[in-house]
Amino acid sequence: MADGLSDVLDVFRRDADLTHGELWLRYFELGGMSTHLELEAFLYGALRPTTHDHDVIVHALNERFSEMGGDHPVPYLEDEGMPEPI
Amino acid sequence: MTSSDRSFPAFDIDASFVGDDTVLALRGELDVHGAPDLSSYLDAMIGQGHINIVLDLSELDFLDASGLSVIAGETIRLRLSGGSLVIRDPSVQVGHLIDISGFIKMISVEEPAPALGQLGRLGPEQPDNPPGSPANSGIHELSQQLRMVTSIPSNDGVVDGALRLVVALAKATVGGADGVSVSLRRRGRLSTVAASDQTITDMDASQYATGEGPCLDASAEGRWFHAESLHHETRWPAFVPRARALGINSILSSPLLAHGAPVGALNIYSWATAAFAQKDQELASIFATQTSTILGDAGLDTTEEELASKLAEVLRTRQVIAQAQGVLMERDGIGEHDAYTALRRFSVEHGSPLSLRALDIVESVRRPQAGPETQVPAGDHG
Repeated sequence: MADGLSDVLDVFRRDADLTHGELWLRYFELGGMSTHLELEAFLYGALRPTTHDHDVIVHALNERFSEMGGDHPVPYLEDEGMPEPI
Repeated sequence: MTSSDRSFPAFDIDASFVGDDTVLALRGELDVHGAPDLSSYLDAMIGQGHINIVLDLSELDFLDASGLSVIAGETIRLRLSGGSLVIRDPSVQVGHLIDISGFIKMISVEEPAPALGQLGRLGPEQPDNPPGSPANSGIHELSQQLRMVTSIPSNDGVVDGALRLVVALAKATVGGADGVSVSLRRRGRLSTVAASDQTITDMDASQYATGEGPCLDASAEGRWFHAESLHHETRWPAFVPRARALGINSILSSPLLAHGAPVGALNIYSWATAAFAQKDQELASIFATQTSTILGDAGLDTTEEELASKLAEVLRTRQVIAQAQGVLMERDGIGEHDAYTALRRFSVEHGSPLSLRALDIVESVRRPQAGPETQVPAGDHG
């Protein structure tokens, strides 16, 4: 499931017209703690982010979509009843 | 079916011919030692007219950036000449390297056979040309593909790594290129940030020392400088003798632009006179554009002050969010993640940035009269 979701994340990144570098900076600004390489690995499904990390990435994407005049199209894992990471 | 073998200490290539395809099985470690061997082996194959090549990586244990550069460079070269290069069966580790490097968009990885379904994760972004399709990519399409390779964060070390890759790719791909370098203006001075070898670094240094040369002019004027034959070159009288002394006979310097302003140059040097054909000049242009994209992504076009100011803003926002989390944790007796989730949900519900909500919360603590919730402890969360 996580791999599938991560693949979707990179699709959203491209829709948001953000480079990996730009997305990382936004994610970092929102408090994300992973490096840019880890972020890329999350997006490509090579690594699995924690639920919290996943949702910070999602929020960075959703704020970008807001700026572009859209709503928040990317779902948050936590709001779908996923367990909190320890 | 014929086959031929060549052996290297830690790296082997075994060729077989299947229909129109030349299948090269790579074994062992493809690193800085094996990469030149693969490069000359492919040159020999292509020279014999074998232009549809499959690299079977099922027994390749290790691949590094130098090996990746050869594969990417030959992929471009073969596409331009109407051929193709396809990767088959990379191991999970090698596949991840190709994947994370961003080359997945440029290198064709063969669809795994059904029995090898676990490799399917390699394909989140399949290349435009399905493997085996007639590869007729023109310059324009190639340019599009190269543009997609950028996944460069705002980090000088990583940018320099990407520029080194551009240098390796340009050297492998541009006909006549014996050496390639990237010069960038940093803190008001030009310096070489990536070069294919020491002679080329010296070549750039000679231009900085004499204060003249195609690299300096391209960097300053933002246009091309092509010296077809240094023997007949009358520009740059102090620099040209130094270049000829090192055996250089032609130079092509392309400007690197960031948001329209010149910030440096991509320099291609050749031992030969009139080394760069029209096609090679177009390729050099593509690489210069690609390099400019990397620089633009990295924000190097901004001044040091602008960059510092942007980073300071990012760090300030980060700090405010952390402070707001602290306020909520103390006020509501909740954990760090729950505090973050509360901020995030407010942001989603109200369609306002999370950082603004965080700022409101922090401000409400600093100025208790601002809102009804005045019982928030006014502790110093900084």
